[in-house]
Amino acid sequence: MAADVHSLAPEVVVEFFAKIMPFKELDHETLHGMARHVKVDFFPKGTRLFHAGETTISHLLFIQQGGVKSFITDDEGEVTLKDYRGEGDYIGALGIIRGTKASLDVETVEDTFCFLLPQAIFLDLINTQPGFSQYYLKSFSEKFVGTAYAELRRHKMTRRGDENLYLFSMQVGDLVKKPLRKASADSTIQQAAQQMATHRVASLLIHQPGRPDEIIGIITDRDLSSKVLAPGLAYTEQVRCIMSSPVASVLSQSTCFDALLKMMSCSIHHLAVERRGKIIGVITSHDITLIQGVSPYSLFKEVGKQQKIPDLYPLSKKIPEMIRNLIKEGAKSGNISRMISILNDHILERLLTLLEEEIGPPPVAYCWLLMGSEGRREQTFKTDQDNAIIYADPKNEQQAKEAEEYFSRFTRKAIDHLVECGYPLCPGEIMAVNPKWCQPLSVWKGYFKDWVSSPDPQEILHATIFFDFRSGFGKASFADELRQYLSDLTERHELYLLHLANQCLAGKAPLSFFRNFIVEKNGEHKNKLDIKHQGLTPFVNFARLLALRHGIKETNTLARLHVLAKENIIDESLWVKAVDAYEMQMQLRIIHQLNQLEIDAEPDNHVAPDELSELEKRMLRDAFEVIDRLHSVLKTMFPTP
Amino acid sequence: MQFLDFHQGAPLAEYSFVVCDTELTGLNKRKDEIISIGAVRIVNLQIQLDQTFHRFIRPVNINPNKATLIHRITPEELKKADPAEEVLPQFIEFCDNSLIVGHFVGLDMYFLNKTARQVLGGTLSNPGVDTMRLARRYKDSGQTDHYGHHDHASAYNLDALAKEFGLPAFKPHDALEDALQTAYLFLYLIKKFKDGGIHSLKELYRAGRILH
Repeated sequence: MAADVHSLAPEVVVEFFAKIMPFKELDHETLHGMARHVKVDFFPKGTRLFHAGETTISHLLFIQQGGVKSFITDDEGEVTLKDYRGEGDYIGALGIIRGTKASLDVETVEDTFCFLLPQAIFLDLINTQPGFSQYYLKSFSEKFVGTAYAELRRHKMTRRGDENLYLFSMQVGDLVKKPLRKASADSTIQQAAQQMATHRVASLLIHQPGRPDEIIGIITDRDLSSKVLAPGLAYTEQVRCIMSSPVASVLSQSTCFDALLKMMSCSIHHLAVERRGKIIGVITSHDITLIQGVSPYSLFKEVGKQQKIPDLYPLSKKIPEMIRNLIKEGAKSGNISRMISILNDHILERLLTLLEEEIGPPPVAYCWLLMGSEGRREQTFKTDQDNAIIYADPKNEQQAKEAEEYFSRFTRKAIDHLVECGYPLCPGEIMAVNPKWCQPLSVWKGYFKDWVSSPDPQEILHATIFFDFRSGFGKASFADELRQYLSDLTERHELYLLHLANQCLAGKAPLSFFRNFIVEKNGEHKNKLDIKHQGLTPFVNFARLLALRHGIKETNTLARLHVLAKENIIDESLWVKAVDAYEMQMQLRIIHQLNQLEIDAEPDNHVAPDELSELEKRMLRDAFEVIDRLHSVLKTMFPTP
Repeated sequence: MQFLDFHQGAPLAEYSFVVCDTELTGLNKRKDEIISIGAVRIVNLQIQLDQTFHRFIRPVNINPNKATLIHRITPEELKKADPAEEVLPQFIEFCDNSLIVGHFVGLDMYFLNKTARQVLGGTLSNPGVDTMRLARRYKDSGQTDHYGHHDHASAYNLDALAKEFGLPAFKPHDALEDALQTAYLFLYLIKKFKDGGIHSLKELYRAGRILH
């Protein structure tokens, strides 16, 4: 009987590994043999398992129960989520195989029990078991490879089909190939041009005379033609006369995606790359498009080039495909909706510009307003039109009539073109073509004043759409003025805010007492959750209400929450929880809609909890629980007598 | 005594624990006996699955009774098993200078010591830690974020605690499986306790000490 001492194959481990690839392929003896070397560890929720670039991986971790997230943190603390792993998944294999430190930050999002397989045992299996190394190499290339996987990436770069994987995995620092070229601000234009020609570069950084490390500007070959040749400026002028200053820069560990967003939102083509406070080089939009196939940037550029409105239709229909690629690369939902907004805004801008050229300039200045989710920059695939026009108060009746006629023609055409571009009509007719929502600034002020001072349920509904307005095109100062007017109004009308608060509190988190999801019982969406109305809207409403109360001009929900936390209106921990909860739900929603598009179904917001993984379900439950916390904050701020 | 110079302030990861469970013929302290011992070692606060102990013990009195039905060890298996004088020294050797952890460990220690006195003329000197007490302290400190459960006596048995804390489940009433379940509970408790868990032996003793 002495043989059974210490020799018992731990059943729990054998059962676990017998279910997962590639271990289930092992013969009985090998499986039991390796199972004996396994250890068990427990990591409470929120434990950091790996620090990117620091943690030496001694064991391969298998999640027996619980879940982890992997992410990248840049110098500024900005976090990019990469992946979630749950039961049966492993962590650390790549590091062990390559003999490198952890390449991602990994943290438990649940109380997590892990089986630990010592590195040596794992490497032995890799070396002796047929199929083992192929299994892991294959799964690495299928997973979204993280930022630090530079080697693996370069290896894969040469292959076709992987082109669209780099926006998120590649850091801008990796793109800086050429040595930094710079010139003193007091050198002449000709000297600078000569230097550019000698080094065959299209841009030159400009530094303070005598202080080469102090970069103050940049010139590009475009500056030479537009600011020197065209106006006939003397070549002997100092280069500082034509430089752009200051230089927009990004941190070297930012992803190419972030750099692209920055270029697109600032309409610039060059960014200086900064590492530890020093500029190490310059990247251009071309550098990024080179590593990309059909990129958001090339789409962006295409839109800007079009000279006929109908040519915009097919471009706007490319957006879902592009978003699909972004999701595949592991983009966070916040990034995705920002990208959708930038592209939609750009299409709108081009469309309205061309339309003005077609039917002639407007008699008075105007601002095209975007509202609802577009106003908050929170669109997903399904983007109804919610728009309106504010125009300058006409000077006289003649002008008023002209404006009415012009905008009626203008908006009718604009709305039709937008439909052709794939933005469906707003069922509530909140569109610029509706004369009620195409009015001079003074009328708009009147609307808001009425809504705020005599709230009835219909007016409160308006609030949720109209109060998230922002300028989409035209004279943005009208939108700013209206925003300021609204801030002044709402800060004085506590009673109105109380009505809004009651409306927020009317919606309950869709969780039963036992934390089960409350789903629709009957009908078309039986056993499904409306993730937008039940899950996301409470966050949107909460952020809007507090933004109105505290005169915060942001319209984006995450941005509003951020300001609220920075100004200590809500506490830091609630902010962090709310952001996680909101992003998690947005992600679920976007992926759900993407799956629907793949099968040619109309995207909706009805998610079936049964189809979610255990980890997703738990995260969704946690997200819903945050709604209760938001509500209790509201109850404290707006106590009912 | 090997335990006299224990530094109670040292981090827990430096100690070795043996989490054990015994199956008995019954709960009568006078006449019942140990029929099975299961144990697993924890080193570096990780359960070492290659260091387990699982043995049946042939009792002096082999009578099928109610307890047999619970732990499913048949009289035939017991007849084949080694007697306590052979198994117990092996178990003591396995424990070496580890601290002994058990769920309601006082009971296990009572029977282990009773048997040790009978067959070896001495008792185990290893200090013990009771996960039931740890769990009680943990719940009393109000740190549980599980709701829908209410405090009553039965909520402190091993299965109920495993369920309440959402731990992976093991087959009950098998000494080794119960020892593993207890080990999971122990890891869970010491790491969840207070901010960031229990760090030193002193803190652990304050929360769950039963002996010495």
